[in-house]
Amino acid sequence: MDNDSGFMNRHYFLLRRLHSLSGIVPIGIFLLNHLLTNASIAWGAVNSRGSQHVSAGTIESVGEITARQVGTFQHDVTFINNMPFLILIEVSLWLGIGFHAILGVYYARTGKSNTSRYAYQDNWRYSLQRLTGYIAIFYIFYHVATLRWGWTFLSPTDTPWSHEQAASTFALALKGKVSGISAGGIAVSLFYFIGVTASVYHLANGLWTAAITWGLTVSEAAQRRWGYACAGLGAGLMVLAWSSLIGFLLLDVSSAQKIEHDLHAGHGSMVETEPHAADETQPLAEAR
Amino acid sequence: MSKQAPQQGRTIRFRIKRCDGPGKPSYWQEFDIVPEKNANIISCLKQIAETPVTVQGEKTTPVVWDSGCLEEVCGACTMVINGGVRQSCTGLIDVLAPNNGDTITLEPMSKFPVVRDLWVDRQRLFHNLERVKAWVPIDNTYSLGAGPKESPDSQATHYKLSECMSCGCCLEACPQFNIEEDESKWDESFIGAHAISQARLFNNHETGKQLKDERLEELSGKGGVGDCGNAQNCVKVCPKEIPLTESIAAMGRATTIHAVKSFFSGKK
Repeated sequence: MDNDSGFMNRHYFLLRRLHSLSGIVPIGIFLLNHLLTNASIAWGAVNSRGSQHVSAGTIESVGEITARQVGTFQHDVTFINNMPFLILIEVSLWLGIGFHAILGVYYARTGKSNTSRYAYQDNWRYSLQRLTGYIAIFYIFYHVATLRWGWTFLSPTDTPWSHEQAASTFALALKGKVSGISAGGIAVSLFYFIGVTASVYHLANGLWTAAITWGLTVSEAAQRRWGYACAGLGAGLMVLAWSSLIGFLLLDVSSAQKIEHDLHAGHGSMVETEPHAADETQPLAEAR
Repeated sequence: MSKQAPQQGRTIRFRIKRCDGPGKPSYWQEFDIVPEKNANIISCLKQIAETPVTVQGEKTTPVVWDSGCLEEVCGACTMVINGGVRQSCTGLIDVLAPNNGDTITLEPMSKFPVVRDLWVDRQRLFHNLERVKAWVPIDNTYSLGAGPKESPDSQATHYKLSECMSCGCCLEACPQFNIEEDESKWDESFIGAHAISQARLFNNHETGKQLKDERLEELSGKGGVGDCGNAQNCVKVCPKEIPLTESIAAMGRATTIHAVKSFFSGKK
């Protein structure tokens, strides 16, 4: 115990600053990317190339928009899964999040919220930063455990997430059943809404305070200006986060499965011109 | 002045959090008084001390408080008035309780140990100023002569910072500064906005600069400027309107630069 606190004290400044930095690199940068990817389930609707690997028959049955959405999202997920040394990126993220979370809890416990006495907006910001941090820890753990580590017993359905059927398996993990939404699905969806909202707030406000911590924004005017920038970034990320959630909640799971089946059938031959092993039930490229 | 004049001869109630001595339990008592014209909190406490009888008619001891200058420059009479921290000498009754039957609640500051009633021991506040050597090092056995010149610009910045009266408002409102009765833990507990701002003042002072590195070392360690949580209550409750949050950011920058310099120059 004495050695622990000795270590903490000797490297106090470095640990504080690494804690601040780790919230931006890698966690903040990753969150930005992650939300951009996920939001493609909604914004893929305007991506005319999103449906290019989906058969005409499937497009006819599920609709062009859905085909674009699922096609775009699957394309992004496949791209990420084909990145070299992906496991190293993942492990550095897990370590980064773990480091930020453990130190964050340690630091948060040194404060004592007093918004009831001093109900200033900035004081609420302070308390919310700590509350959203705690929420984000539970949320991110649940998110990674169920969808990446395959702890499906925590999921309302027992189906694991698959990067080959990215949209349908996630929609299932969110809604709990193929058509409509189960009671567990409502709980999970609410948790996702709260969790992702908390995470985005935590990043936007953390960026604002980090500029003070490092001494980038010294004058009150500079802090205000940087505050507008962080609020703008936060609002933008919030749009991405909420549109992802809405996109997945409105997604018809069986339609998504059909589309992914097409994409998967074409998976062995990503090069258009090469004929692929034909799947009798799904006429493909020639129908396009 | 269209503002309605407060009613003269009105009765107002004081709700006071009392404590008979260090470590003793707190309790509440209420007193009704007819305040004098242009009364402030202190003059009302004097009135209560004349006839210390509660609203229940129970005779009690006079309420104890601390005060000094009575013009908001010494900081001694700081207490929690109606839930917010401020000086009691400038707490005017006409503003705080303009109507008959209005209640004013008085509590001692919660971040310092209570000596008695509304009187607290602010020793840790001064201890924290010592931690950052908040002074100009000119002690010597012979005359050092005239000091370096200060530019008008830096004088203007310094003047605002030098108005700090060590009252403790910024600490009382700070969620990161909490009561610590164990003196051995003071050096590792959050130092507070006042000391950070004073470190900035003396680090920018042409003679005070001599202790710059020592101040930055202290602010880089546990309980230093890194422990600030940016709730920014300090700047809002500061009676002298000192730009405390700017001082915190300035010292954040100074510790960043100090760390980079020590890393490369191998000092420390």
